[in-house]
Amino acid sequence: MFNYNFRWNQALNALPQMLDGALVTLQIALLSMLIGVTVAVLLTMFRLSGNRILGGFATAWVELARNTPALFQIYMAHFGLGAFGIHLSPFTSLLAGIAFNNAGYLAENFRGALKAIPDTQARAARSLGMPATQAFRLIVMPQMFRVAFLPATNQMVWAILMTSLGVIVGMNTDLAGVTQELNARSFRTFEFFAIAAVIYYLIAKAVTLAAHAVAWRMFRY
Amino acid sequence: MKTAFVAGLLAATSLASVAHADALDDIISSGTLRCAVVLDFPPMGSRDESNTPIGFDVDYCNDLATALGVEAEIVETPFPERIPALMSGRVDVGVASTSDTLERAKTVGMTIPYFAFEMAVTANEASGVTSFEGMKGKTVGATAGTYEAIALEEQVKEWGTGTFRPYQTQADVFLALSQGQIDATVSTSTVAQANVKTGNFPGISVVGTAPFDTDYVSLFAMREEYGLLNFLNLFINHQVRSGRYAELYEKWVGGEVPDLTANGVYR
Repeated sequence: MFNYNFRWNQALNALPQMLDGALVTLQIALLSMLIGVTVAVLLTMFRLSGNRILGGFATAWVELARNTPALFQIYMAHFGLGAFGIHLSPFTSLLAGIAFNNAGYLAENFRGALKAIPDTQARAARSLGMPATQAFRLIVMPQMFRVAFLPATNQMVWAILMTSLGVIVGMNTDLAGVTQELNARSFRTFEFFAIAAVIYYLIAKAVTLAAHAVAWRMFRY
Repeated sequence: MKTAFVAGLLAATSLASVAHADALDDIISSGTLRCAVVLDFPPMGSRDESNTPIGFDVDYCNDLATALGVEAEIVETPFPERIPALMSGRVDVGVASTSDTLERAKTVGMTIPYFAFEMAVTANEASGVTSFEGMKGKTVGATAGTYEAIALEEQVKEWGTGTFRPYQTQADVFLALSQGQIDATVSTSTVAQANVKTGNFPGISVVGTAPFDTDYVSLFAMREEYGLLNFLNLFINHQVRSGRYAELYEKWVGGEVPDLTANGVYR
């Protein structure tokens, strides 16, 4: 039987520390999305370019990012690069791992979104005299973002949850790291993990709601 | 007739549940002792080439099972999972090199010490760290959730410079140390020597001792299981006076056997 008496008062004393951790978590997730979107747009353009090397590079990235565990990607950013003498701090390793993952998934998102935009859009733009790059930047890309925006918020939520993997590379300032440490000191596992779960839930929910609000404001016809 | 029999059976079962069996009874009647052991912590716990758990803690669990007249089952638990494993009923006893801090004793029942660690500083040879004080201002790390990690992090805070990084496993700490991601670590001297000896981690060496208090470690069980805790205390006492403790120490560690008593005070 589960034999455990909950002591919430003791655990709740640590709430300020955990909320500080939650800020770091959110910060990493946001940064990783910024980097992820930027790289994913580049990867999408590489794949559209028709250039074999660039296209192959983008495909390799997407394949690796989507078909290996995020845990492995983060571990490799820290210990894999470390083996070659490139030392990233836990923060940077975690950020790099998640950004790598995000870029892969978002590139696929964007590819799907592009498929949803009729070819006639680009052709109409070209026939108005726009060069290819301008047509892509001004006509296709904004529509691509509109289609991909809500699916991309999934990735944002996923990024928030992935930050908890930082503990494997020595991250101790984000929510999972702070929780682990509080747990190690006191052995009050279930209280701290329950509080952490609630905080993760609230952040993820807030992000989803905010994204819907933004989408409603920005993308209505 | 039949109903009387069923009623009798029911009465018997309800009587049996009144005479509540404690954890010690449960272990003996189940015939299996499930021990939480950390298998990432040589020489206390690790795996040999055929993936069989070996180490001081594994032998200690086997001895305990023999004393109880049951089979031992080694349940691998990384450091942070020791307590959840106990609380969720996956293990009966922790033989997991667990430091007996007062903070933790509020949650689990700790026995008298069954082993004691001295702390050693291991450094990357390129870091220039040659002593405990030399770690000031450097990037240091240790295994998350251990006594030495908690003590080292506090020391870094007290120095006010440098960085502390907790890694999830002892192997990751030594990997990070060997790669130069961290400059030095504090670990139990047994672990430090065992890891340096393996040759898996080039460029590191033990450079001195850390002036932390002796790290006494105890077995743990559910806090309210006095019957079991009482048995465990007596078992530890017997291990020492029968010479088995010294024998196991010689087998797995070697050198001077650490004293398990604190002078001038009873437990």
